[in-house]
Amino acid sequence: MTEPMISRDATYHRAPDALRARIAKSLAGEARESRRPFLWQALGTAFACAAVALVTWIVATGPMSPAADDRIAQEIVNAHVRSLMAPGHLADVTSSDQHTVKPWFAGKLGFAPPVADYDAAGFTLTGGRLDYIEGHAAAAITYRHKLHVVNLFVWPAAAAPDRAPHTHSRQGYSLVGWTRGGMRYCVIADMGAQDLGVLADLVRAPVSAPAS
Amino acid sequence: MTRLARFERRVLPHLDAAYNLARWLTRNDHDAEDVVQEAFARAFRYFDSLKETDARAWLLAIVRNTGYTWLEKNRPAEVVALEDSGLIGADAEVIGHTAPAESNPEVIVLQSVQKKLVNQALEELPVGFREVLVMRELEDLSYKEIAHIAGVPIGTVMSRLARGREMLRKLVERRMRKAS
Repeated sequence: MTEPMISRDATYHRAPDALRARIAKSLAGEARESRRPFLWQALGTAFACAAVALVTWIVATGPMSPAADDRIAQEIVNAHVRSLMAPGHLADVTSSDQHTVKPWFAGKLGFAPPVADYDAAGFTLTGGRLDYIEGHAAAAITYRHKLHVVNLFVWPAAAAPDRAPHTHSRQGYSLVGWTRGGMRYCVIADMGAQDLGVLADLVRAPVSAPAS
Repeated sequence: MTRLARFERRVLPHLDAAYNLARWLTRNDHDAEDVVQEAFARAFRYFDSLKETDARAWLLAIVRNTGYTWLEKNRPAEVVALEDSGLIGADAEVIGHTAPAESNPEVIVLQSVQKKLVNQALEELPVGFREVLVMRELEDLSYKEIAHIAGVPIGTVMSRLARGREMLRKLVERRMRKAS
């Protein structure tokens, strides 16, 4: 018996033809969809978001009261709008390099916020700043997605139980929030909740996405 | 050329690579198909972010993210943080060396047994080791590309490869002893 060798011994799994066909079909569908009039698409997204929000609401509403949820959502919207109001409000440290942004937070907060660039997925890190949410100093990490500005807020909520991502929409902004390990997270932007959910997924992934 | 046609020309040829990675991440056909389909939908959405760089590495980064999101949601126990300490590089290529080809029938049987054992052992490795081994050995990606896709430093990729190979070798040995 020779030494085990992955490149020779392990199976290279090739995509089944059925999958190939399904992907070709769904791509054609998506290509058609993206040519659909914007309004219908927006309405479709809005309905989908509303449905998702309703379901996650029912499923995920834990001990946290709707009123508290509402209040936090409003705080997030206010902070987001404030960050957009004038040049220079958005970021105290401006960089697309996570190794510049992350250390900037060191010593300014009682926790280390997750800072990563998701450029490959269309979310480019642009910088960070401090903010204030729910009576706590919060990290605000900023991204650019196409022409949209995205804020990711992270702040401590030691007593809060873990909670799966839930979607809100308010004043034209979409919010995706979740709680994990005594920290609350919320991303917000003026874009579809589904697209925003992509960033939420990336932030929630255990190992950071590729940098650059 | 339409956006779809460009996507089909640049990205679709890497479907096998996408599936192979997803299959090794999820360890079964059905879930791999789900992950790949979702990854392609995302890839198409973010196609504009693909510059002149290698489409395969770009796609695999999306597959990996989608796969991890899927694992995190469906099998969170499998996603464990790895401590990346010690052991860098030196013995990284030990198992990678090519063995001489054999044609003796007995050897061929042994080789098919070995294939089975290696597949099983690779599936047993923690996903963080498994993925770098698959990308390096089956996909032949460079350390740099793997580091980029997995979002870790190159040194970490090298030490994970070395440790992964070592763990795999031990697993195969143990199973072989049990079998004989």
